[in-house]
Amino acid sequence: MPLLILKILARRGPLHGYGLTTQIENMSEDILRVEEGSLYPALHRMEEAGWIKAQWITTDNKRRARTYAICPEGQKQLEIEESRWRAVTRAVGHILRHA
Amino acid sequence: MSWSIRFLKVFRSRALDEDLSEEQRFHIEARTEDLVRDGMSREAAREEANLHFGNRLRLRETSREIKLLSWADSVLQDIRFGLRILRKNAGVTLAAVLSLALAIGACTAAFSLIEALVLRPLNVQDPDRLIYLAYPPDSSDPLQGQEHDSFSYVLFQLLRAAGRPKADLAGISYQIVRPAIFNGSTGPEERIRPQWISGNTFRILGIRPVLGRLLTSADDQEPGKHPVAVISYDFWKRRFSGDPSVLGRWFTLAEKQFQIVGVAQRGFSGVEPGIGTDLWVPLAMGDAQSFSRPDWNWFRVMGRLNPGAKPGDLRAVLEGVFKNFHREVAAQWFAADEPKEHVRRFIDTPLFVRSAASGPSGLRRDFEHPLWILAAVVGLVLLIACSNVANLLIARIAAREHEMALRLSIGAGRKRLIQQLLIESGLIAAASCALGGALGVWIAPMILTLLSSLDNPVYLDLHADGAVFAFLVLTCTLTTATFGLAPAIRASTTSPNEALKTATVKSSNRIGLLRPLVAAQVGFSFIVLFVAGLLLISFDKLNHVDLGFAKEGVILFGIDAKDLRQQDEKARVLWLQLVGRVRELSGIQAAGTSGWALFAGGGWDNAIRVPGRKPDAFQPYYLEISPGFLETMRIPLLGGRDFDSQDSQPATPSSVLVNQAFARRYFPRTNAVGERFFRASDNNTWIPQMIVGVTGDTKYNDLRQTAPPTVYLPMRGGGGGTLEVRTALDPGAVTAMLNKEIPRIHPGFRISDVNLQSALISNTLIRERLLALLSGFFAVIAIILAALGIYAILNYLVVQRTKEIGIRVALGAERLRLVVMVVSNIALLLVLGLGAGLGVGMGVARFLASLL
Repeated sequence: MPLLILKILARRGPLHGYGLTTQIENMSEDILRVEEGSLYPALHRMEEAGWIKAQWITTDNKRRARTYAICPEGQKQLEIEESRWRAVTRAVGHILRHA
Repeated sequence: MSWSIRFLKVFRSRALDEDLSEEQRFHIEARTEDLVRDGMSREAAREEANLHFGNRLRLRETSREIKLLSWADSVLQDIRFGLRILRKNAGVTLAAVLSLALAIGACTAAFSLIEALVLRPLNVQDPDRLIYLAYPPDSSDPLQGQEHDSFSYVLFQLLRAAGRPKADLAGISYQIVRPAIFNGSTGPEERIRPQWISGNTFRILGIRPVLGRLLTSADDQEPGKHPVAVISYDFWKRRFSGDPSVLGRWFTLAEKQFQIVGVAQRGFSGVEPGIGTDLWVPLAMGDAQSFSRPDWNWFRVMGRLNPGAKPGDLRAVLEGVFKNFHREVAAQWFAADEPKEHVRRFIDTPLFVRSAASGPSGLRRDFEHPLWILAAVVGLVLLIACSNVANLLIARIAAREHEMALRLSIGAGRKRLIQQLLIESGLIAAASCALGGALGVWIAPMILTLLSSLDNPVYLDLHADGAVFAFLVLTCTLTTATFGLAPAIRASTTSPNEALKTATVKSSNRIGLLRPLVAAQVGFSFIVLFVAGLLLISFDKLNHVDLGFAKEGVILFGIDAKDLRQQDEKARVLWLQLVGRVRELSGIQAAGTSGWALFAGGGWDNAIRVPGRKPDAFQPYYLEISPGFLETMRIPLLGGRDFDSQDSQPATPSSVLVNQAFARRYFPRTNAVGERFFRASDNNTWIPQMIVGVTGDTKYNDLRQTAPPTVYLPMRGGGGGTLEVRTALDPGAVTAMLNKEIPRIHPGFRISDVNLQSALISNTLIRERLLALLSGFFAVIAIILAALGIYAILNYLVVQRTKEIGIRVALGAERLRLVVMVVSNIALLLVLGLGAGLGVGMGVARFLASLL
């Protein structure tokens, strides 16, 4: 989950929680469904770790929303997570091919 | 996120909760909008969104837990809970806080006195490099008695020159209260504390002026030529209310005129803690004789070590000079027949270089040990108070066993329970410290006034500074640990199963911890009581020691006659007339004069030679007295006759009285009357004396000394003396009467001060009185605390066993046996505590004896 959140924030710039959900769902063509029950704790954990930072903004239809943006720290973390993910998928792919 | 922000969030948790729910609301609403856009009805969309989101409350909890620093939150919760619990048991809390506050207040007072007098470095630049010189007293054992630190101007010059490569030395006189008159002020003389200092003193100390200039070496060149003075900041504020026009003002001190040229920096009141200095004048303005006479010791030598120099280096350089000086003066001072080993010992007197980082102090020398004793006593009282509070807490925790068990069984950790209880203890400790600190700040000056006498006001800067605050924080922590930890650990071992199952608590389970506490408490209070008892008894003994004269009913008048000179026939007659006139006044039973009063601190001893007796180093005391003195003081005449008015005339041999101790020492075989001896004069000639009477023994100026061999010389009169008056009248009335009568005899006579002989003697017991009073006070507190503690425990035990006792009574147990049953539980502890206390007390007594 942190990997996806960080990647999307890095690509799309600041987004609010709901935006993140829809983005993930759309981009994975609804294969990945985001549980709100784990999204927000994850977001807050990441905020605490200093990977992302939150800001209250007012949306076009005059509603207050909390948006999240990626921090330099998060950028670094994204790289680590991405390479780890690649390593894992490569390893899994290797096993699937040769087992 | 930084710690501070996390911590802040603990306090802002409500606002944070709102943030969270707003974020969630936004999420749900956004999804609802999207679903509506996809064609769902608004109602259904909302339901769908809510369903999708899940349990909002649980989400909030988990989110929040991440957000908050849970520990800090739990501490805050515990504090709130603790306050509630403490409020609920207001009685117990109040008792605990009050007893602790009392003990902590006493500790704080003792500490702030010790801090100000002993520990605090001088308020000057780099005090660690300051030193002062000292040497052992001229006695048989160099380790006995107190060190001397007074030097003559002659020796100072030699030391200063020799020590220059290693240190910069300054002469700094003692501060005695002196009369002074400021020009332009009306009213009587003012009593101030001046100090004569060498010109380099301020430079050595690194003091700056706040106004005008300070004394410099240029102010100290020629004796009598530099009438300038610098006043202290405090004196400037107090006497001149900070008026800058004080510069240039003249005043008279010790019959010389001085002009104020500056005000020293704020916070500097001299180099001697305990004595505030009002103003400084150059050493060169001292008494003319003080510059040439090698036996005129009148100031301390302080100095600053040069960079790189060690105290040992300086000592190596100066000791040779010191011994050479002694060798030279020994030739003049000692008679040819003086015992060799006495002369040898004098020449070999060692010289010490002592650290002056906190200033040399007579007050410290006198009171350092008593203050530490006092600190130890109040420390014990604090321990007693702590164990008392621990008792209270344990008893209360036992009552809360159910609560503890319940908390444990619904998942509270042991750590959390200990934390909760320690926080409760900490709250008590903090409240007690706050109260105790205030109490201490209030008590310390009161103790200081006990130390002060009219002639010797004690000045200590007792402002509560960082050190005192640190002490309080430390005390708070230590007390929490001492009285809080044991009950907390104890409580955390509660077995929920058992505690919840049975409504009553097994007493054996709990008393286990109370036992050593009771014993310790009894032991501690016994030690305090023992020490206090010893100090009280020794004070009482000293108070009732046989002086050899009757101190009650004697008023002492210091008489000045600046225009009269010693050895002057006119002066002799006037002083005799003074006694004669005062004696005739109504209400006066007897009157006499003396060179100074007994126990005024003054003394005079000098060598004597008795024909046919081997010379020794012993020197008897001398006192000049007039006819009537013996009668006034009620000193018995054992043989021969008292002085009459003729004895004060110059004669050879001149008549003297001696006391019995003198007669026994020098004339053991005869009754001494009519015997002759020689006494040394100032210029080392021998003056023939003839004994005309023998008196009873009296103490001279020390209650602990046995009455020293004393010679009474006839008073010849001069510039000053003491008039002793025995009367039943009020001192004020007598003073008024004398103020009228005395100038009639001679206009130059003036009363300079009034004192009671009994007050003078009790002033020499300030230290003992202080110790006896305060330790007695603390002993009472200790006993009350210990009694309360034991009562609390007994009471607790009885409450625990109410059921059992009830059954016993029902079955016909006798009252007495029940009492024995309850009391025996604790009697053994009392005996144990008493035994331990007695043992320690004995040890302490020996230690005290060596200190006092």
